[in-house]
Amino acid sequence: MKKKSIMHSIAAAPHIFWAALFIILPLIIVIFYAFTDAEGNFSFENILGLSEYGNIFLLSIELSVIATFICLLVGYPLAYIIAKADAKKQKFFIMLLMLPMWTNLLIRTYSIMAILDDGGFLNNLLNTELHIIGTKGAVIFGMVYDFLPYMVLPIYTCISKIPKNMWEAASDLGCSPIRVLTKVIFPLSMSGVISGVTMVFVPSISTFYISQKLGGGTFELIGDTIERQFVSSALNTGAAISFVMMILILISISVMNKFSDPDDGGIII
Amino acid sequence: MSKLIELKGITKSFDGECVLNSINLYIRDGEFITLLGPSGCGKTTTLRIIGGFETADEGELYFDGHEISDVPPHKRQVNTVFQKYALFPHLNVYENIAFPLRMKKFSEEDIKTRVTDMLKMVALVGFENKSVSTLSGGQQQRVAIARALVSHPKVLLLDEPLGALDLKLRKDMQNELKTIQKAIGITFIYVTHDQEEALSMSDTVVVMADGEIQQIGTPTDIYNEPKNAFVADFIGESNIVDGIMLEDKRVRMSGHTFTCVDGGYAKNEPVDVVVRPEDVDVVKPEDGMLTGIVTNVTFKGVHYEIIVDIGGFKWMIQSTDYVAPDEKIGLFIEPDAIHIMKKSKYSGMFGDYSSFSDEIDQLSDADTAEEF
Repeated sequence: MKKKSIMHSIAAAPHIFWAALFIILPLIIVIFYAFTDAEGNFSFENILGLSEYGNIFLLSIELSVIATFICLLVGYPLAYIIAKADAKKQKFFIMLLMLPMWTNLLIRTYSIMAILDDGGFLNNLLNTELHIIGTKGAVIFGMVYDFLPYMVLPIYTCISKIPKNMWEAASDLGCSPIRVLTKVIFPLSMSGVISGVTMVFVPSISTFYISQKLGGGTFELIGDTIERQFVSSALNTGAAISFVMMILILISISVMNKFSDPDDGGIII
Repeated sequence: MSKLIELKGITKSFDGECVLNSINLYIRDGEFITLLGPSGCGKTTTLRIIGGFETADEGELYFDGHEISDVPPHKRQVNTVFQKYALFPHLNVYENIAFPLRMKKFSEEDIKTRVTDMLKMVALVGFENKSVSTLSGGQQQRVAIARALVSHPKVLLLDEPLGALDLKLRKDMQNELKTIQKAIGITFIYVTHDQEEALSMSDTVVVMADGEIQQIGTPTDIYNEPKNAFVADFIGESNIVDGIMLEDKRVRMSGHTFTCVDGGYAKNEPVDVVVRPEDVDVVKPEDGMLTGIVTNVTFKGVHYEIIVDIGGFKWMIQSTDYVAPDEKIGLFIEPDAIHIMKKSKYSGMFGDYSSFSDEIDQLSDADTAEEF
């Protein structure tokens, strides 16, 4: 037995090393910078000074909550339809869903810009002068477009894993097709919904390029602020904002996990 | 007892393969009927058509005199106990049983009364707030039965409900199901591949094979008067020997002319003759109607299982007296132990114990159990 455990630690060593170097260490560095001033002395100044970014935090939360909600609204029915299709069609639909992900996120965002721009493809096509880029709507649209697959895939996986006899039992015990969905299938796919919501909400709230490109410079979200701090070498402020963001995300994920089935355990935490 | 459910010419194919071939069957109000057959015989499909989960390609399905082929499952007065119970994991025991009542918008008081009654019936009082995933297989099964019965359906469909339980528990649950059925007096339609289960529980047994009904009858009829070689072999152990009906009550097989009790066949008509292993008496060779050499003896507890070679055909005999392998013995068969059947497409396929092995039987049983 002892020999085996030595083998185990040898096998685990590279992973532990990797995790320490690229996950734990950066975290420590972020926390270190967040709680020190430019001279390296311990200080709460950075954290306390964050109140001036309050509005940016609120806006980021507002936009990402709306985007997550829309993703759920669009994504759940889509995942449901795909999961109920026959096996061949399922593969095809999933491929269609994944197809945009083969293109880099940044390039996709640029393409949306080209389409929605004032003199862009859409306005040319419709022969209109719609002003879309630079509105909240454009940023939300970008988030939904970029992150929708992350909502659909976990929900789809979850629904397709629900045994066929659950549907039949529900229907047998008096559920109309709508009630089969609301009383049995939706509750049983809750863990998929939770991970979908997490996987859309987290990148949405921390995004910076979507707001930069589709916000047309009129918006600053928290991701932009962090980026700006680091670019202008304000490492301590940047680290402090990142730290608070992490705490916020941590809190929202643990709140969401409260709603998920305790048997499944948390998806992320 | 009046006809509650009637199937007329029900035919069903999956991917061009015929699973049910023109099934005609009626089920009386309040009876315990079992669809029995090997895997792939169409018994589960028949049940699913009655439950509304499959639609027949052809034929009519009547419930209480009304055609119900187009009625969706949630509007049928039929509930199902599924093979793997299909309890809702997001609901506790109480809510699982209350589920059908909530769908029918019962008042909270009525729900409480009915669920409590059900919990008493299946002996699960005190389990109300437990999560169904913490229950044992037998307990889950009881919850499934309670949930299916709580809304007082007219018919309960049971799809191999005891398949996942161990032998001891199976026996207990068999008795319990029979008791429940007698107590509430509704129709049970039970699907199983276990012939013993079918014989011990049912009022009526429907033996199915290859998408067709082979025989319908009471358990005693099915055992004592099997209609063809398939039924004789599937229900219990049988020696099925080629014979010729010389005249009424006289049949010739294995080189000896026997007196029997059956008649109504043409003169010299070839028939299948069934002799159950427990109906054969072992006697001295000179007293026997047939003589043979013992090839194998297995101790089974209650009796010995003896394989005897009679002119190249191997018979199985169950006897409480020990005989030694390679011994020459005589066989004595009473007239009423001989059952004559018309030749069918199953003739010659069953009833010879030359390749008999208990292990193989058990292996194939395990296969079918896993398949569903």
